[in-house]
This record gives sequence, C-alpha cells and structure tokens, in this order.
Amino acid sequence: MATASRRGKPKIKPPKKHGPDFSIDRTWSELSKNIREIQNHNAQNLSFEENHRFAYNMVLNRQGEMLYKGVNTLVAENLDKLAEEQMVPVFPAGGINDPMQQSQEGELLLKALRGVWDDHISNMVKLGQILKYMDRVYTKSANVPEIQVKGLELFLKHIIRPPIKDHLVTAILNQVRLERDGFVINRSAVKGCVDVFLSLHVDNSGVTVYKRDLEPAFLRESEGFYKAEGEKLLSSCDAPEFLRRVEARFDSEDSRTHHYLASQTSAPIERILKDNLLSPHISTVIAFPNSGFDVMVDTNKMEDLFRLYTLVIKVATGLSCLKRALKASVARRGKEINDISLGAGTADQDVEEDAQSSKQKGKPKARAPNAGAQPATKWVQDVLDLKDRFDLIWKKAFRSDREVETALNEAFESFINTNDKAPEFISLFIDDHLKRGLKGKTDTEVDMVLDKTITVFRFLTEKDVFERYYKGHLAKRLLLGRSVSDDAERGMLAKLKVECGYQFTQKLEGMFHDMKLSADTMDAYRTHLAKTTAPDIDLSVIVMTSTFWPMSHSASPCTFPVELGKTCKSFEQFYLSRHSGRRLTWQPSLGNADVRVRFKSRTHDLNVSTFALVILLLFEDLDESEFLSYSEIKDATSIDDNELKRHLQSLSCAKFKVLKKHPPSRDVDTDDAFSFNQDFSAPMQKIKISTISSKVESNEERKETRDRIDEERRHQMEACIVRIMKDRKHMTHNNLINEVTRQLAPRFQPEPLAIKKRIEGLIEREYLERCEDRKSYNYLA
Amino acid sequence: MTDVEIRNEPKDSDWVRITSTDGFSYLVRRKVANVSGTMRNMLDTTSNYAEAVTKTCPAVNRHSRGIIAEKLVEYMCFKAHYETVGPKEDIPVSDYMERVPPEIVLELLLAADYQEM
Repeated sequence: MATASRRGKPKIKPPKKHGPDFSIDRTWSELSKNIREIQNHNAQNLSFEENHRFAYNMVLNRQGEMLYKGVNTLVAENLDKLAEEQMVPVFPAGGINDPMQQSQEGELLLKALRGVWDDHISNMVKLGQILKYMDRVYTKSANVPEIQVKGLELFLKHIIRPPIKDHLVTAILNQVRLERDGFVINRSAVKGCVDVFLSLHVDNSGVTVYKRDLEPAFLRESEGFYKAEGEKLLSSCDAPEFLRRVEARFDSEDSRTHHYLASQTSAPIERILKDNLLSPHISTVIAFPNSGFDVMVDTNKMEDLFRLYTLVIKVATGLSCLKRALKASVARRGKEINDISLGAGTADQDVEEDAQSSKQKGKPKARAPNAGAQPATKWVQDVLDLKDRFDLIWKKAFRSDREVETALNEAFESFINTNDKAPEFISLFIDDHLKRGLKGKTDTEVDMVLDKTITVFRFLTEKDVFERYYKGHLAKRLLLGRSVSDDAERGMLAKLKVECGYQFTQKLEGMFHDMKLSADTMDAYRTHLAKTTAPDIDLSVIVMTSTFWPMSHSASPCTFPVELGKTCKSFEQFYLSRHSGRRLTWQPSLGNADVRVRFKSRTHDLNVSTFALVILLLFEDLDESEFLSYSEIKDATSIDDNELKRHLQSLSCAKFKVLKKHPPSRDVDTDDAFSFNQDFSAPMQKIKISTISSKVESNEERKETRDRIDEERRHQMEACIVRIMKDRKHMTHNNLINEVTRQLAPRFQPEPLAIKKRIEGLIEREYLERCEDRKSYNYLA
Repeated sequence: MTDVEIRNEPKDSDWVRITSTDGFSYLVRRKVANVSGTMRNMLDTTSNYAEAVTKTCPAVNRHSRGIIAEKLVEYMCFKAHYETVGPKEDIPVSDYMERVPPEIVLELLLAADYQEM
C-alpha cells in the first residue's frame, strides 16, 4: 500500500543516532533503583520497556561489564539481606528435647529456605527478562555465565554457606530421624529444601549440593541408625516379626528417597539397609529355633516365607543361606519319613522333634514280615506329600526360583537315596495304584498320582534296581489280569520311557507284546480245538519270552494231576507245531484257575492259584474225615516248601477256609495236617482266594535281588567298557573310568573300584591289554 | 490493514496492544506478539511488569516511527501465520521481501535486534 508512493526515491536513510542525552551514570542509577524495586516485588509498577532499554543502551554503549557487575552486586546484597532477615531468626535454638518441637523448628527453617529460594528465583527470572539483551550480546563475548546461572552461583555463595548450610542439613537429618522413629513430619517442607539442594550445582561436573553435603551426611546417619536397629530387632523380635520390620524399613526408605529425597540415593541407602539389617543377621533369623525357617514351613506361613525370600534375594549371601536352611529342613523331614518306614525307632534315632513322636503312632510295630505293601505306599505317599508341600512353598513363596528348585531337588535326592528300599517302594506304590485304581479313583486322578511318582522316581540314582522291581510287579499284574487298564499301564510305560529312554522300557514293552501275541495264539488254539477233540479242561496260556519276563529263570517244580497234564500236552503240541525249535516251560507259580467245588450247603466257584488248585485236587477223592499231612501233600505235589506253606495258608488260614488245618493256628507248620472243610459256606457264589499279594521283600529276598542286580551291573559295566574301548582303541585308566561312570549314570552309580575289577576281568579274557605305562589300556579286536 | 490480517488468525487468546512512539497502535493476538522475544518477556504475566498488567507494549525503541512498527507487526503476523504450516506449502518469503522498502531496512534491522526476532 504505502510502498507505491515511495518508489520514487529509493534512498536508504541512516538510522537515527542514539540520543546525545545518554548518560551512563544516570542510566545505571535509574536501572539499579528499578532493580531494587523488582527485588521488593514492585515489578508491576515498572515499565519493562524502559528497563530493557536501559540495559540495551548500556550494552550498546560498551558498558556491559559495568552492568553485569552492578547487577551481581545488587543480587548479592539482596541475598545477604534475605539471609539476615529470613534465615537467621529461624535458626533452631538447640537444647530442646521434645521431638514435636524439634520437628516444628526444623520445618520452619526448611520452609524459610524455600521461601528465600522462591523469592530469589522469581527475581532472577524478572532480571533475566530485562537483561536479555545483555545475555545475548555481552555475556557470551565476555565469557561469563548468563545472569540466571550467575544467580544460582550467588545463591550458593551467599545462602548455602556455614552456618546456614549446616543448620539446614541438621534439620533435614532430624526430620528423617523423627520420621524413622514413627513421628509424622511435613514431608513437603523437607522436599522443598532438598529440591533446592538438587538444583544447585557445586561445579561444572554436575555435582549438586545434595550430593556434596546432604547425601553423605544422610548415609552416615542412616548407617549408624540401622546398625543399632539391626541389633535391637534381633534381640527383641521373632523371625516373622523381624522380617516384617525389615521389609517395612526397606519400603519406608524407598518411599523416602522417592518422595522427598533424591532417587539417586535409593541405591546407596538400600545397600546400607542390606549391609546392616540383612547380611549380618539373616542366617541367625533363618535359624531362629522357635520361629525360624523350619517353623514357618511347619506352620505353612506362606506370607512370611515369601517375605523371607524377597528379602533374602536382596543380599548375596542370603540365597545360599536360605538354600542351606531349606536343605536341612527337607533332610530332617526326609529322615523322619525314612525312619518311620524302616521302623528304625531303635538305637541311633535321636528323638529330636516332638512332631515325630506324634507321627510315630501310625508306625507299624517292628518290622512285621507280612506287612504287605502298606509301608511302601505310606513311604511314597509321605514323600509325595512332602514334595507337594515344598513345591507349593516353592511356587507361592519363592516365585519358582530356579536355584531354590535345584537345592530342593538335591535335598530330596539325597534323602530318598539314603533309603535302600526306595526303588522297591516306588515300584510297589505304582503297582498299588495301577491295581487298585478302580477303587474310588478316576483315571485322571490315578494319572496325576503317577505323574507325581515320576518326579520322585527322577531322584533315584539306582534306576536299574527300580526297573527290576517294576518288571516283577508288572509281570504279576499282567499275568493275574490285575491292572486297571491297558491304557494306564502303557501311560506309565510312556512316562518311564520319557524319563529313561528306549532301552529302559524295551523289555517292559516286550512283555506287553507277549500278552498280545498270546491272545492271538489262544484264538488260534481254540479254533484248532473246535476242529479236534478238546480236553476236559479249558486252558488259557500266556507264552512269555524268557528274556523279557523277570521270573522265567527258575521254574518251580510241581507235579500236575493227570487231567491237567493232558491239557498241557495238548497245547504244547499245538504250539510247537506252529513254532519249531522253541521250548515251553510251564510256570505253575504264575497261573490261576477257576474251579467249582461242592460243599455241604451249596457249590461255590473258587478262583485259586494253580498251586492251590493242585492242592485242592488232592482232596477231591477223599472222605470228609480223612486227613492229609503236610509231608503227604508235599510228596504228592512236589511244590517248594515256601510256596506250599503260602498256599496252604491262604486256603486254610485266610478269610475263606476251604481246608481245615489241624491244629488251627495262623501259620502253617510242617507237622500240620489238613482236611477238606465240608461245612464251608459263604454268601457269594464266586469266591476269589488270593495268595498274599506283593509286599515288601523279606531280607533273604532282598539279598537275592541285590545279588542279581549286582550281577546285572557287572554285565552292564563290562558291556560299557567294551563298547567304549572298541570305539577309542586306546584310553587311560582315569578317562575310561570317567566315561563308564558317565554313560551308566542314568541307570546307577558305578563304583570306580567295581569298574576296575571289570577291567581286570576283561584283561584276563583278553578283550583289553594293559599298556607299558601301566596307566592305560588297548582294545584287542 | 493489519487488523484485517490478524482477524483471520484463528488463534483464540487475548488481544494485546502494540504502540509506536508516534502514536500508532496495533491490536494483535498474544500469539503474534510472542514472536518477539522482548515482547514475550514484556507481556510475561509471571513477572508481571507494568506492560503485562496493561497488555500494552510500547513496541519499538523510542526513536522508531510508525512505519517501522508497522513492518515489525507485519513480519510478526507473517511468521506467526507460516510457522505452523506444513512443509509442502509455499512460504512466500520473496513476496514479503519485496514489500520491505529499501530505505527503512537499516532502521528495521536495529529494531528487530532490539525486539529479539
């Protein structure tokens, strides 16, 4: 608009000179007066433009230095005045003991400082605005800090100085101490002062007044406080209370650093707490006799345990301490369980725990030889319960910590393996469940129990011993048709396979295979019989591959009556005609028979073992009054003493007394005589006369099993040595021993001495040769 | 002229007055005034100088004339307006340059230095 008219005279006018009326002195005196006014909070009466122009002009006229210094002096004077007027009057008088009064004094002082600070900062902002031109032009070229920064420096120099500073620090520490002692303080007052300290830098490296003056004093004070606190708590509290208090201290210190101190302090103060409250005392607290870790576990105090865990992981030594306590606790409980199961309440068992005495009530008296599977299942159940309990604690209180889990597992492993019978017990327990599963428990429940059992099984070092027992028990279940279901059996097998690999379950699977093959064979046999003349007795045969089944090596002798013998021959002929070159051995000890018996009142269908059937058939043609003596029966049947006694006992002394024993008593003796019990009566038509079921082995049996296992191990060790040497050709003694141990570890722990013996045996048989250096071996092809 | 331009500004906020030494005065949005650092400080309500209380800025150095003040305000409007536009839109800087008469540039420069913009 206006440009068009000016286009005629394009001449650049020089800007107007600064007025000649400019006088430095007058300008400064005006400006300094105004600055004082600003400091007296009268800014709204002043013209910004005017003062800005004063400063502008002074800078323009090269009086920047004078302006800068003058302002500094004014600010410093003002600060000194503020210190005198606001800070000094509120210095604490000292000598007052009432905490409330102390707190109020401190609060007053801190608030005064905050007031001075706020005042100063607001002044500096205002000054900074009118002196903006100076900051832009003069300070940079003169290499001095901007006026705002200079303001902070001046504040540091004139306010944060002795004695004001010392009073402030003491006041803050007093407030903290009061709060620690449980009094309520005005946090915002403390925070106000701390914030001032935090925003003041001592030098260019970023160290604040807080860091330089307050933090070290605070930490020193805290250390002293917590040292005393630790001792006090230790002597006055029980373990849960101690932990609660310590946790509260951690929380309160954390909230303190976040609410009114600086977060940079939280790490050092936490270290002080750890070093003074936790590290020195935690092991003592865990071991507190009446409230420590063990008692917490006893009383299932999850909260306390969780608290213990969270505190313990804070310090380096804590977790190992907890792990030790955990191991000791598990070991003690494990020992109790072992002791109960062994019934070893005799000499070396120290009656340390009253808990134990209560448990001992359920303990079977002494070691009854016919105790059945009960102690075994009880032991496993106890172990499982214990494991469940610690697992729950581990999950709930220890946040599923891996290290703790390892410790837990180690503890379980060691106590389980101190019980020699553990493999047998576990197998019996599984046997019990797979057999009795139908009684009340659903498949899924049984499965759960078995899953848990596997976890215990995992702790076993002598897995081969377990395999042996399991094989025996499985065979009995299969032959007697006692398992709950094929699925459950196979499920268990699958679990074992997962744990120990294919090799471990190979033979067990072979047993299943035999069962299936036998069923097919029987079908074929029956069709064969339909075409020819069948014998009088129905026969069902299971053909067992001798290497798969555990019992086939010792055929117990038994003389069959003629009818039975014929039937057996019939099958033998049939079978051998199908498979040439095989040998069949009858195992009467494993069979059973259904037989119909006529008593005086009625007939009953009895289900008895083959031996029992053979015994019963002896009485078939006898009169009621006739007796057979023990030795007569033995001669007629040629059954082993052990077996004979067992079966006679189940026929004459158990629930269903089909035979009468003379004289009547619980145990069968070689002098006894037997007669048929015509008066026998029972409510049911079908009666099952069971022989005494699987039970814990007697000492002789155990010894025998042990021997067999040892022999098997010898073979395994030899096989392993040969396998390794075949591969390596040459190996030093130590390496060989290590390798063998490593390879066999999943099955059992071989002793170095035993391995050495095997090596010697192999050298004798010229599989290996000893080298010149006497320390290594060569493989001889 | 400036009034019309400024009313197009959608910015709410209050109005402030900028005055020149020879009696011209311009009503602008505070946002526009804030383009100048000096004016921003001047109108800063926390410090609350007399200018902030009255919302009136004696815009320029005492010796500046209306024409200078007008160009300053024009530039402030220009900057406040184009500050926020997207990167694609053309900013007619050369148009603005042409509107500055050469004879006042030196004076304008001094004023701009004083006004910190």
